[in-house]
Amino acid sequence: MSDTLIEVRGLEVAFPLREKKLFGARTRLLRAVDGVTFDIRRGETLGLVGESGSGKTTVGRAILRAIDPTGGEVIFHTRGGDIDLAHADEHQLQKLRSRLGMVFPGRSATGSVGLHSLSGEALRLFRPRMSLVFQDPYSSLNPRMTVRDIIAEPLVAAGLMRDREQIDARVREIAARCKLNLEHLRRFPHAFSGGQRQRICIARALVAKPDFVVCDESVSALDVSIQAEIVNLLKDLQEELGVAFLFIAHDLSVVAQISHRVAVMYVGAFMEYAPVRKLFFTPRHPYTHALLSAVPVVDPDADYRPIRLPGEIPNPLALPSGCRFHTRCPFAKERCRAEVPAWREIAPEHYVACHFAEDFDFARPAPAPG
Amino acid sequence: MDPILQVADLSISFRTEEGLITPIQGVGFEVGRGRTLGLVGESGSGKSVTTKALMRLLPGNARIDPASRIRYRAKSGEWIEVHTLRDGARALRRLRGGEIGMIFQEPMASFSPVYTVGNQMVESIRLHTPLNRREARALAIEMLVKVGLSNPGQRIDQYAHELSGGMRQRAMIALALAAGPALLIADEPTTALDVTIQAQVLDLMRDLQRDLGMSMIFITHDLGVIAQIAQDVAVMYLGTIVERGPVREVLKSPQHPYTRGLLRAIPSLDRLDKRLSPVPGDIPSPSERPAGCPFHTRCAEAIAGVCDRIPPAETVLGPDRSARCHLLAQPGRATA
Repeated sequence: MSDTLIEVRGLEVAFPLREKKLFGARTRLLRAVDGVTFDIRRGETLGLVGESGSGKTTVGRAILRAIDPTGGEVIFHTRGGDIDLAHADEHQLQKLRSRLGMVFPGRSATGSVGLHSLSGEALRLFRPRMSLVFQDPYSSLNPRMTVRDIIAEPLVAAGLMRDREQIDARVREIAARCKLNLEHLRRFPHAFSGGQRQRICIARALVAKPDFVVCDESVSALDVSIQAEIVNLLKDLQEELGVAFLFIAHDLSVVAQISHRVAVMYVGAFMEYAPVRKLFFTPRHPYTHALLSAVPVVDPDADYRPIRLPGEIPNPLALPSGCRFHTRCPFAKERCRAEVPAWREIAPEHYVACHFAEDFDFARPAPAPG
Repeated sequence: MDPILQVADLSISFRTEEGLITPIQGVGFEVGRGRTLGLVGESGSGKSVTTKALMRLLPGNARIDPASRIRYRAKSGEWIEVHTLRDGARALRRLRGGEIGMIFQEPMASFSPVYTVGNQMVESIRLHTPLNRREARALAIEMLVKVGLSNPGQRIDQYAHELSGGMRQRAMIALALAAGPALLIADEPTTALDVTIQAQVLDLMRDLQRDLGMSMIFITHDLGVIAQIAQDVAVMYLGTIVERGPVREVLKSPQHPYTRGLLRAIPSLDRLDKRLSPVPGDIPSPSERPAGCPFHTRCAEAIAGVCDRIPPAETVLGPDRSARCHLLAQPGRATA
């Protein structure tokens, strides 16, 4: 497990909803994330797909503690190493602050930190180690700040660097890596196109050298050509910096392109989770199969027959009994209505939540690697 | 092709703070009766402005060049010269909704939040047909059934925000179709939807088109969607149609370097290990439209001294098939 960066165990996020009733009020719990378990390795991209409302975004936010989990654990494995605090100079201390913040609650013997239990100051110091790239590059950049100040903000907010020249140097380095024109750093974001804004967002997310970045629908709003550029850029940056990504998207072909492993989510729970080729070419869950079949194919001669899922996505306040997918599953049987399927490893690294996963052959012709 | 709409030499200028810009230059295409034309292009290519001009819905600072021609064949069989209609003319009001319907990416933009779905459908039906309120309501329910909304008798009295995303999209299609348009303009109607819902909506639109004999212009940047819904396609770049023709031919043997570039940029499950190939560079702003061929600044095959100077003429490549590229006028270099 040496290369595991983040371990997520039974993560739950529930929002209390107050309902006014004839007599008083009652509070019901909306289980946006209902116990998911997975891990993210150093330098890998985990793709997270699912329909709107499936809880993808909530998983990402909960890991970053932008939303507080209501259950489960999120363990962040830091590179241990001995650090002599007594002899570290001010500069080193400054850099260590973000790591020191994590020494507080939840620290385990292996130098890991339980993110779910961090609070307040500790969390703020810890944040620069992780970061977030949003979907909309227009609303996520402050129009009154220059590009340089936007990119530098995580360094300044966490107090990682105080020296202006040092900050400038770091900003210029990451901006260059993100293929931004350095002469544009003094400009304001309104002067940039969607693709360039997304580069600015990525530079900002990476400036503090985080180990982990959540990309939430980061390329969904972009044109196909710019999308291709950003995907290539993220892959290059990952190779150069060794950063891990949680790549949340509803476009399956983009996810396939960028991810090492992929998880499929449905109304708050994982249905399937496997290395990218296994998931796309030998899916085991009927939901994964249906999602894949619905991706429009550019070849007009291709056999495009999307599987119709009857009905609507269930209301998370009134989840179906048994398997939460049974109300729409073309293969649902009696057992699916009665019994919640176990989350099990059906093949090495291939996890699925379906009673009958072994019975399905959804395999599609896979192209030869390379 | 039996055309229901003919557009020729359409140019549109806007007065802006930076002076007069002409984002649409010399656009020409046809929509065949009962057929779907897919209009593809990046943001800023002018897809939406072009279709707004067809219904004369451009903002006040826009001006359609006098040489432009937009001819629409009404349900009565007569040709309406849309470009000659005065603002506020009766014929224009009939055209909007009654002859040409429009749906958008964001269904909430089509619905008023303070009226029920049914109120708005009945209003639209009564504006364009002689039906009374009761008959109009019956027709509205019938349309909601057609678009596959469960419980239409109940849904009709709900507000748009009470419906789920997929249902809202269906209700918007029902609203646009309520007045029985012969041509439907769909502006990225499935872009914001999940793939499963997108597949359902595409299915629905195909069925409706067949049942109602309707023509469609389907705007999207997704060539996969085009392959599934359109028979004809027009590829737009910076306010010009660079290539058009039957979908199969254009997708199978694209002739314009831009079309080829777009197709190469699409991620495919068959090429998981290869890097994606974006079209190099950014689309220039409409106010900085390059001289000559608008695409030459990003084209790997551009011929110096030609492509940066002379706007390419339309080369006819077959029936209803053409492209604007100097390479096509130079035999032997076109297949690069």
